[in-house]
Amino acid sequence: MNLRRLLPPARSRSLFLLPVVPAVLAACNKGDAQSTFGTSGPVADTQANLFIFIFWIAVAVFVLVEGALIYSIIRFRRRGSDDSLPDQTHGNNKLEVIWTAIPVLILIAIAIPTVKIIYDQDGPPPDQGPVLDIKVRAHQWWWEVEYPGEDVVTANEIHIPIGQWVNFTMHSDDVIHSFWVPKLAGKMDIVPGDVRQLAMKADEGGMFFGQCAEFCGEAHAKMRFRVKAEEPEAFQDWLDSMRRPPAELVSDDAIAGQKVFTDNCGSCHATNTWQAPGARNERTRLAGLRSAYLDDRNKADGDRTNLIAAPNLTHFGTRDTLGAGLISLTRDNLVEWIADPDDIKEGNRMKELARPYRENTLTSEDVRQLAAYLMELKPVAADAVMEPDDGTAGGTAVERGASTFDSSGCSGCHSTGSDDRLGPGLAGISARQNDDYIRESIINPGAFVVEGFSPVMTETFGDTLSSDELNDLIAYLKTL
Amino acid sequence: MTTIAFPTLISRPTSYTGLWSWIGTVDHKRIGTLYGVTAFLYFLVGGIEALIIRGQLAQAESDLVSPEIFNQLFTMHGTTMVFLVVMPMSAAFFNWMVPLMIGARDVAFPRLNAFSYWTFLFGSIFLNLSFFLGGAPDAGWFGYANLTGITYSPGDGVTFWALGLTILGVASLAASFNFVVTILNMRAPGMSLMKMPVFVWMALVTSVLMALAMPIIAVALIQLTLDRVWDTNFFNPAAGGDPVLWQHLFWLFGHPEVYILILPAMGIISEVLPVFSRKPLFGYPAVVFAGAVIGFMGWFVWSHHMFTVGLGPAANSAFAISTMLIAVPTGVKIFNWIATTWGGRLQLNSAMLFSLGFIAMFIVGGLSGVSHASPPTDAQQQDTYYIVAHFHYVLFGGAILGLFAGGFYWWPKMTGKRLGEKLGKWQFWLMLVGFNLTFGPMHWLGMNGMPRRIATYADGLGWEMSNAISSAGALLLALSVLLFIINFIRTTSSRQEPEDDPWDARTLEWSIPSPPPAYNFARIPQVKSLDDFWYTKHPELLHDERGEEAAASAPAEEDTHGGGSIHLPGMSYYPFIVSIGVVIGVAGFMDVLVELPGTNIQFPWLSAVGIVIGMFGLIGWTFEPVSEEGGH
Repeated sequence: MNLRRLLPPARSRSLFLLPVVPAVLAACNKGDAQSTFGTSGPVADTQANLFIFIFWIAVAVFVLVEGALIYSIIRFRRRGSDDSLPDQTHGNNKLEVIWTAIPVLILIAIAIPTVKIIYDQDGPPPDQGPVLDIKVRAHQWWWEVEYPGEDVVTANEIHIPIGQWVNFTMHSDDVIHSFWVPKLAGKMDIVPGDVRQLAMKADEGGMFFGQCAEFCGEAHAKMRFRVKAEEPEAFQDWLDSMRRPPAELVSDDAIAGQKVFTDNCGSCHATNTWQAPGARNERTRLAGLRSAYLDDRNKADGDRTNLIAAPNLTHFGTRDTLGAGLISLTRDNLVEWIADPDDIKEGNRMKELARPYRENTLTSEDVRQLAAYLMELKPVAADAVMEPDDGTAGGTAVERGASTFDSSGCSGCHSTGSDDRLGPGLAGISARQNDDYIRESIINPGAFVVEGFSPVMTETFGDTLSSDELNDLIAYLKTL
Repeated sequence: MTTIAFPTLISRPTSYTGLWSWIGTVDHKRIGTLYGVTAFLYFLVGGIEALIIRGQLAQAESDLVSPEIFNQLFTMHGTTMVFLVVMPMSAAFFNWMVPLMIGARDVAFPRLNAFSYWTFLFGSIFLNLSFFLGGAPDAGWFGYANLTGITYSPGDGVTFWALGLTILGVASLAASFNFVVTILNMRAPGMSLMKMPVFVWMALVTSVLMALAMPIIAVALIQLTLDRVWDTNFFNPAAGGDPVLWQHLFWLFGHPEVYILILPAMGIISEVLPVFSRKPLFGYPAVVFAGAVIGFMGWFVWSHHMFTVGLGPAANSAFAISTMLIAVPTGVKIFNWIATTWGGRLQLNSAMLFSLGFIAMFIVGGLSGVSHASPPTDAQQQDTYYIVAHFHYVLFGGAILGLFAGGFYWWPKMTGKRLGEKLGKWQFWLMLVGFNLTFGPMHWLGMNGMPRRIATYADGLGWEMSNAISSAGALLLALSVLLFIINFIRTTSSRQEPEDDPWDARTLEWSIPSPPPAYNFARIPQVKSLDDFWYTKHPELLHDERGEEAAASAPAEEDTHGGGSIHLPGMSYYPFIVSIGVVIGVAGFMDVLVELPGTNIQFPWLSAVGIVIGMFGLIGWTFEPVSEEGGH
């Protein structure tokens, strides 16, 4: 029998050591950006402390029970070929009651702080100052971030102030996702058709890594994000900067890139939410595009087109990452990303759905110019701002209408030529229809649906457009 | 009784060897073998899927497989290991051992038993066909709605998954009814419930759980199929459906399912430990009661899989407490097992090592389980590798080691040959080390922020080393399984003198020849006490401190049929035919519908074909006498 040779490794190698390993590692890897240890806010601190409390209880139980098992194996192993019968014990009621009762006591000791913390962490504490509300909308496979009341919309990088409680109000645009920033708080699932809240606070500054934690489809592994905790003044500066117009483009590439962007990218990616009304329309526009996209996709054999809500790129050049927290934002990475997003993030919708990719119309020159433009897409310096441009003043009615056509999202579905997208091409519409027809079609899209098109247009334009804007828009459409 | 004259549709198999005899068999031992061989082959399939997963995750930013393939692999790995390995391997042991341990000649419904196996086999093949027909399911073994909806999973994979599991559920239900009835009705005279071996008890509890849990998942799967095929909206939030409903249904099935997976293995080691400690199970009533309580309380903990769904503090608190409570009976079992070895004469052969390994690893899985019974800590652990570590300690360290223990323990009874001890021990130690290397570091990975089900991860998050160790450990695991295969081949081709009772064991299956004859018991035994066979061999032990009152077994009762000839149920092709009908009937809901002319009704024509085949088989089954010669 070779058991004596075999037993020591059992004890030293596999039984005692392994569960201790995490504890040792935990002590020396607090710096890892997505670790649940070395936390930076009260929610995650409390959760980590509760874990450590349970962990040490578990270690004690582990040592005692595994110790008893190993002792019994060594002490009572058969020596030689001794076949005699040991004492035939059948049980011991007293012992069995004791080892039923002790776990009950231990579990009570764990249950009490557990329940207390569950209730403590249900929402932000009422007595610790004003709470910053942030709306998160999860999409396959990126995060839309909105600061309600601030007219600021961004994506994948969430700025928060140090020391202030933040309450995330979260929706999903498609499937279940889970919002998780380990350094700040445990996760919360986001269920479509419902709302979820998650409160947290950062006690120190830093770039905290987050990631979707609920499996959500092909690119789930690459649905990442960052939370950037800054001093309150820096946070306020950032918020202000998001409402300033973009700085003037410098390089020729960037100026050329702007046109490429408008022609190819602008129907899905907004860059104009620094304009207050634009920001308000943004939500409507994205929702409209989204349902149009889904409806289209549901048609089994239909032409799976082109439209989907896409990350808001306002002042994109100020970000640190691209592709949903995937890689750092450098000119080279951006060129690579635009040239073939699928190479960096398989499954992403842009490559699958966006027209320039489906029709392969972007030249490498276009890509270079686009990257130059996006890298320069930054707000003007604070002291350079004059009167805020609300996007409606100035110009002729037709010019104002043209601006509305782009900023309200009409161009997402309608071309100004004669080619049909999700909606009919609008060239020559004045020859076909009168003002009333056009007006009714905008306010109440269900009234007339051109044959061959789905009734997918959002019905909210009557609310979001003022009557002046509507008149300007019609004036513009009649020139097409 | 008047025999109804009905034409024989298909005559029975006549030979007891060859392919047709396997297809027509109703012998619980042969069906057990079929279950065992099939489950082991799927163990290799699921293992290869796991190896590719570990290959992909061995390093950061790897592109060994695409995310699309990766998602299929982890979905099928989980589905395979749960439904096609651990469940049927447990069924193999139930089939082989339950009738032998209760002194019966077969299960209560032998043909239903064959039907269970064939339905399981065809269902599993159907599920795996998806790999070749447009891609395997890729929405996870838990199939969370609404990702499984047609909008987000437009391929056929998820439909294969939903229908495949529906078929497997039919097989499990039939098997569970069979074992409940067998155990309650076919015990040898004198074997009261509290004189049953623990393994039979656990088979009973498991079967009751299956009978109650399978209908729940069936409802959910049918709703999912309707959502996908006929545009219903059970789980579609865009039309007022509720994706969280799926989670409740799935885990209301899924948590009892965890006990369906682990209780049989617990039963196995409760047999092995006393035999090789040469002393009775410590606290038999407590171990039985703990198993039953686990089976009962398993119905009140499902939402601990959903602590981060946002059910609110009241629900989370309630399910936290119920989950912690279930640790108590589990602890009782562990303490009783250790106490069984205490003061014994431990023979540390392969079967015993695997059983002791089960206890050692299950302790780790149990303790990590307590840490996510607490919702605030679970908020950091849910959907991370910490959970993956936890349930592998329970299902691999527990169920798989336990099933290997059963394999080594019962091999001589099933085949008349002992598996090689030297290779067996090598396999055990390699497996134990490989297992801990594979799944130990995952605790750390999860706490260090690595989510589950990610096809790739970035450099620099501190995950590289742990993942590399884990992947290396997986290779050791593969090697240990290879050793078992070699052991199997060498043992099968070896010549050994069959021994009826090689381990000086305690239960009835060891009182008959190895391998057992088709009729199992020439005479049905008369049972006087727990571990009756042991006390037949050691009558002097009956007067111990617990005072078993009865003397050693009386001579076995005469065969009730008298006359020396034993009537066994005849072979039958009908279960096989009905299974084919069931599978085709369910498969008809795939994307092969035809529109009825003049309507917009999508008609599942293939299902109609399946129903015709199934009805044909059922009619033949109904009018076929149980056995040929003057059956009842």
